[in-house]
Amino acid sequence: MFIEFLRLAGQNVLHRKLRSILAVLGVLIGIMAIVILISFGLSLKGLMTGQVSKVFGVDTFVIMDQDVMSRSHSGGMKEFGLNLGTLKGVEGVKTVAAIRQRTAFVEGGTNAEGTPQQGFMPVMGLSPELLTDFTAFTGDLMFEDGGRQITEADVDAAVLRRELADRLGVNLGDRILIAGEKSNEITATVIGILAASDEKEEKQGFGASMGSSTADTIYIPYATMDRLWPEGNDFLVTVVRILPGYEVDDVADRAETALKAEGSRVSAVTSGDITNVIDQMMSYINIFLGALAGISLLVGGVGVMNTMFTSVLERTKDIGVMKAVGAKNRHVMAIFLVESGLIGFLGGVIGTAVGLGITALGCFFINTFAGLPQGVAFPFVASPTLIVTTLLGAFALGAVSGLWPARRGSRMPVVDALRYE
Amino acid sequence: MSLLDLKNITKDYPLGQTVVHAVRGLDLSIEKGEIVAIMGPSGSGKSTLMHVLGALDTPTTGTASLEGHNLQELGENELVTLRGRKVGFVFQTFNLIQALTAQQNVELPMTFLGVKKSARAERARALLEKVGLGDRMEHRPNELSGGERQRVAIARALANNPEIILADEPTGNLDSETGATILELLKRLSVDEGKTMILITHDPDAAAIAGRIIRLRDGRIVEEARHVH
Ligand SMILES: Nc1ncnc2c1ncn2[C@@H]1O[C@H](COP(=O)(O)OP(=O)(O)OP(=O)(O)O)[C@@H](O)[C@H]1O
Ligand SMILES: [Mg+2]
Repeated sequence: MFIEFLRLAGQNVLHRKLRSILAVLGVLIGIMAIVILISFGLSLKGLMTGQVSKVFGVDTFVIMDQDVMSRSHSGGMKEFGLNLGTLKGVEGVKTVAAIRQRTAFVEGGTNAEGTPQQGFMPVMGLSPELLTDFTAFTGDLMFEDGGRQITEADVDAAVLRRELADRLGVNLGDRILIAGEKSNEITATVIGILAASDEKEEKQGFGASMGSSTADTIYIPYATMDRLWPEGNDFLVTVVRILPGYEVDDVADRAETALKAEGSRVSAVTSGDITNVIDQMMSYINIFLGALAGISLLVGGVGVMNTMFTSVLERTKDIGVMKAVGAKNRHVMAIFLVESGLIGFLGGVIGTAVGLGITALGCFFINTFAGLPQGVAFPFVASPTLIVTTLLGAFALGAVSGLWPARRGSRMPVVDALRYE
Repeated sequence: MSLLDLKNITKDYPLGQTVVHAVRGLDLSIEKGEIVAIMGPSGSGKSTLMHVLGALDTPTTGTASLEGHNLQELGENELVTLRGRKVGFVFQTFNLIQALTAQQNVELPMTFLGVKKSARAERARALLEKVGLGDRMEHRPNELSGGERQRVAIARALANNPEIILADEPTGNLDSETGATILELLKRLSVDEGKTMILITHDPDAAAIAGRIIRLRDGRIVEEARHVH
């Protein structure tokens, strides 16, 4: 009998085209909004977890300041003290690369008037392992012609950006004075200049990956850093690769425990930890989206309810006739519920299709025109769970919104309904 | 036992502060196979009486029984089933469902009784053939003339092969010629199929097909006449 009711409902929907279209539209917009928001959320999550796993792989974790993953953390990285020897001695650790950062007095060349160019700048010491074993962290660095990256053999060498080179009045092969603590100081030769960053700043390597570097930073070899500031209490991050056959979480736990036992205020962060943070962030976003979705669905539902009240009123006579020829209350109820469910379902189907279409287009446009870093793309995610849930939800929304009108209609006394003009 | 039995029926409608006494004490028995015409001025209670006879409504006081079932004792769903099986209605304004085709309209009473699709379709087509609309089955009501619509309504009234056909001014919205063919059809059907028919009408020609004519005034029977054809 459901088929008959579906047909009856379908014909009623078609019979009052404009009104049905408007009600469908109300649901459609709500569903579309939800599908777009959630799909973009899924894309974003896909993008972030994709990036994380690309940088980390399954065999890498990092050591950071212990507050970095906590909720109260306000962004940016804090320096911490660490004994690299202890870290290297932890069972399962294969390679360790570290980045240290300090602010130092720096003096470059002279300007046109002969005034020396100097100032306080961040200086970063990079482990050679970082540049050889963890290229995913540094990204593709674009050097100007003749420039090169720091290697293990370098001692008094420096790499800096074009902007900073201009300000310090130096060029490839020129010398920079860097003053460390006490009377430690070096004169480093500029061996590489990173191409002007303009708007493509994100592409300029670990500055972005590490989330702290600015165009001001001067990069020097790690050993040189040690000479300027012998005390290693200025680590920004330490990257650790584990030996094959070990579980990254186990090694990370051991490393953290060992370092903390020595008083280091550090935390070992694996890709799983970051994914968890992303998941948690996404769950907050989802709650917010859920609230938005709820509101737009409520609006759609009220639209369906309004349409159904009109439909019931308009078909009062039909209700009387159907009851006269043997329709029970539940038949009348079912007919109207199927009708409103159908409106909801239609809104759901079209809304989901349009929403997914817009999301796909959006991803395409962002990937094509937004100038994302190389290899970074918004993946378009058409989640089957999302589709099925929204379709069922739209049908349920329609049916629930039709409940009250349908009940009203079904309870109308047959004689009153028949007399209705 | 009569097919239909009304004893001392009254029907009151509350209307604001007052009460409308639509039927004021009425006795009526109708036997199987009879054709009864009910006449009377507007507002005399004809439709109200028909609603009680057709188990659409229960009287305020008195007893009404259909084939021995006391209507007041039946629950709403039993009442629906009883009238679905036993009574077919024909209305002045045809009252077809606009969204459905002629055939679907005729199938509707069977649908509510849970008759299978194939059986339903077959019977609906046979009935439409019988009322002369074999070539109009897929038409919707607004694609049919008034006379054709009323014939669809008659086919629908016959769908569940009921004992009784109740027709409330079936020719009221038709021109006299079309009205005459509809009356002809109703009469033929009730004679051929042995249906009991109750015909509410203002039209003396319509009343002429009846074996008994009952006149109402102010909710009472004021005259009862038997015809011998
Ligand atoms: N639901 C109602 N509420 C109040 N009064 C009603 C109701 N239904 C009918 N009446 C009144 O009951 C009386 C009888 O009405 P009914 O419809 O039975 O008359 P009728 O004989 O069929 O008239 P007509 O020939 O115009 O169809 C009328 O006075 C009418 O106003
Ligand atoms: Mg009437």
